[in-house]
Amino acid sequence: MLRSYMLSATLLTMSAGFALAHDTEALMESPPGEPYVQVSDVLPLPEFLPGLGTLFVVPDTLPAGPFLAYDHDGKLSATVYMTPLEALSSGTAYNDLHVGSHEVTSVDVYYNAGHPGVDEPHAHVVLYHDADAKGRLAQ
Amino acid sequence: MSLARRKILALGSGILATLSMPAIVRAAPVEVIEMRGTSRGERVWFRPHGLAVTAGTTIRFINRDPGNSHTATAYHPDNFDRTRRIPKAARPWNSDFLLPEESFEVTLTVPGVYDYYCIPHEMAAMVGRIVVGDPGDAGWEGPSTDTEDVSLEVFDALPMVEAILDLGRIEQEGDT
Repeated sequence: MLRSYMLSATLLTMSAGFALAHDTEALMESPPGEPYVQVSDVLPLPEFLPGLGTLFVVPDTLPAGPFLAYDHDGKLSATVYMTPLEALSSGTAYNDLHVGSHEVTSVDVYYNAGHPGVDEPHAHVVLYHDADAKGRLAQ
Repeated sequence: MSLARRKILALGSGILATLSMPAIVRAAPVEVIEMRGTSRGERVWFRPHGLAVTAGTTIRFINRDPGNSHTATAYHPDNFDRTRRIPKAARPWNSDFLLPEESFEVTLTVPGVYDYYCIPHEMAAMVGRIVVGDPGDAGWEGPSTDTEDVSLEVFDALPMVEAILDLGRIEQEGDT
């Protein structure tokens, strides 16, 4: 009986893993498709943001994201989270956030004073998905 | 009359004619205020954020921040029901969002103190103050004393009127 439960749990974990892998595969090239929207289509921001690239987000996940960051060739280069500092200090936690890709080569965390969409001081948490990603998103 | 004397007289007439032209024919003064930001958006600001001009000066706001959009918005009830911080007789303005390298112009004719802000960056104290004319001008209205509608950070970020009048323009430390 116990063995049966363990097998079921293992299968469930495996199937979830496959589903997640499939989902992230679909996000590797721009545009990622619904429910993602291009940030510059819905907010007054440049199409390509130096340092962040072309961003897509599911509106329901604002402000934290994830924001999917694509380079000029439409390759997924980073996953970005934006967490308001006041909300964090007030006890808000942003848990179990999705990732655009399971491969992460480095992470940058830095302060941002605000911009349309997240117009309060917040942190940018940037997960780069390959070693050259930061360079491709720079300009 | 010699040719040289005629030329001198003609030149003098031209100068007199130029000096006596109505002010409306002369080019109106234009001052530029840039919207700036660091590459990662840690800091955003108006440059200069304190400026003294004569009445009738056109202010051109230009977004020089490649990674952000900004507004120049007068504190006024017409703009999101904010408390007025420009002369009562002045017309409020709101540039709406300016993408990089976009610009917006407004001409200020009423003497007094004008405070404005950037909508998405007011919480980061991205504000500015323009002084038109000086306290001796007819119709002059000094700075708003309201402290209810703006944060302490915003209030502190606005340069003193006396300093603006003394220096002409004020830029933040480290502004490049």
